[in-house]
Amino acid sequence: MRSTLKKGDKIIVSLLVLFVAFFIFERYVFSKSKADSVIIRSDGTIVKDIPLKDNGEYLIKSKEGELTCIIQSQEVKVIESTCPDKLCTKQGWISKQGESIICLPNRISITITGGNNVVDSTTY
Amino acid sequence: MLTISAFVVIKNRTDSEYLTTEIYSMNTVIQINISGKDKKDATDAVTQEINFLNQKFDDFSPQSDVSKINDNAGKNAVEVDNVTIEIISKALECYKETDGAFNISVAPLSKLWGFKGNEHKVPLESEIKQTINLVNINDLIIEGNKVMLRKTGEAIDLGGIAKGYTLDKIKEILPKYNLKSAIINMGGNILTYGISNKGNWLIGIKNPREDGVVGKITIKGSKFISTSGDYEKYFIENGKRYCHIINPSTGLPSDKIVSVTVVSDKGYLGDAFSTAFFVLGKEKSLELANKSGVEIIGFDKNLNPFFTDGIKNEVNIEKGG
Repeated sequence: MRSTLKKGDKIIVSLLVLFVAFFIFERYVFSKSKADSVIIRSDGTIVKDIPLKDNGEYLIKSKEGELTCIIQSQEVKVIESTCPDKLCTKQGWISKQGESIICLPNRISITITGGNNVVDSTTY
Repeated sequence: MLTISAFVVIKNRTDSEYLTTEIYSMNTVIQINISGKDKKDATDAVTQEINFLNQKFDDFSPQSDVSKINDNAGKNAVEVDNVTIEIISKALECYKETDGAFNISVAPLSKLWGFKGNEHKVPLESEIKQTINLVNINDLIIEGNKVMLRKTGEAIDLGGIAKGYTLDKIKEILPKYNLKSAIINMGGNILTYGISNKGNWLIGIKNPREDGVVGKITIKGSKFISTSGDYEKYFIENGKRYCHIINPSTGLPSDKIVSVTVVSDKGYLGDAFSTAFFVLGKEKSLELANKSGVEIIGFDKNLNPFFTDGIKNEVNIEKGG
């Protein structure tokens, strides 16, 4: 059977299909929720971005000093630090999205990011 | 058409992603998240403003206006920047509105308890009595751009208002740029600006006794959120917790509640009032909050929450109570 669409109509329909496909693709690629990861900043700059599932021990250096953190069973903890107050080592484990350990004297921050249900920021 | 649309969509998507910057200033960590076309320029301007104000207000730096005022107490009037005059005037306004619960002249007491360094101690009663005589806001004399404290040993500390005031200044800067939204967290004091990528902003309140958050507040549009609690700076002696917020009238660390969060339209006011509410406790705080048109969420010693009516439906408590 002959198509009732003229050549011009076909072009328009094809373009529309492509257009819709592009938007679906674009939404999928850009809006996909990211997996949980541990972002470590030293002196304000990201020095490590580690998947939360990657167990291991990490040494982080800054201009002010250094600390060692471990990732184990989707949790993060600072085990050693050169800072005087040791508040970072006393904080214990963090495991939830949006949680941070901040070592002010060393200017190092460790934050768990990812997912869509996380708070935008935390007041304290 | 398709190519142009695709380009515009991708460009908008890139613009609406947050540019996240972390800086250390005002003796704390500051996270700046800005989205929109001019996010880079806006972040630079915000960083510059924070560093400028820190230079004026930081009492740990001998060159700051605050240090100059304190070092010359009982001696000379010192000339300070306009911003220092402005923040002191706002601090005096908050002193009046909170019946003295917020008092920047409390600094000698904070020092006595060791909260200006890391050598915390419980002072003798006689020492507290003596030091309270140095806490007198009326001894802070302002003439033009000159400031003087009347007696030697008197001192001011802007720690309870400087972060909120700085967020006010940042809120004045942001509209000069083409931005979508911004969220700035300055040591726990937050400015939300515009509409978040998700719609409303979701702000966590730190759990005063455990890791993680104790509740979440939904914030619509631009607001300031400040919290005062007994868990950030404190020490424990003989089983008793002593926190850094000193009641200016008793000279003792405040212990009526464990945390209070203020949501307001003015940064300086939210910051100063959260300190005052922490000193005043539940009933007086609710009364003053209702009178001043700010919303509060607090937690008493048993971690039971209390709220002003205007925010009840915006808060989701996860634990406690």
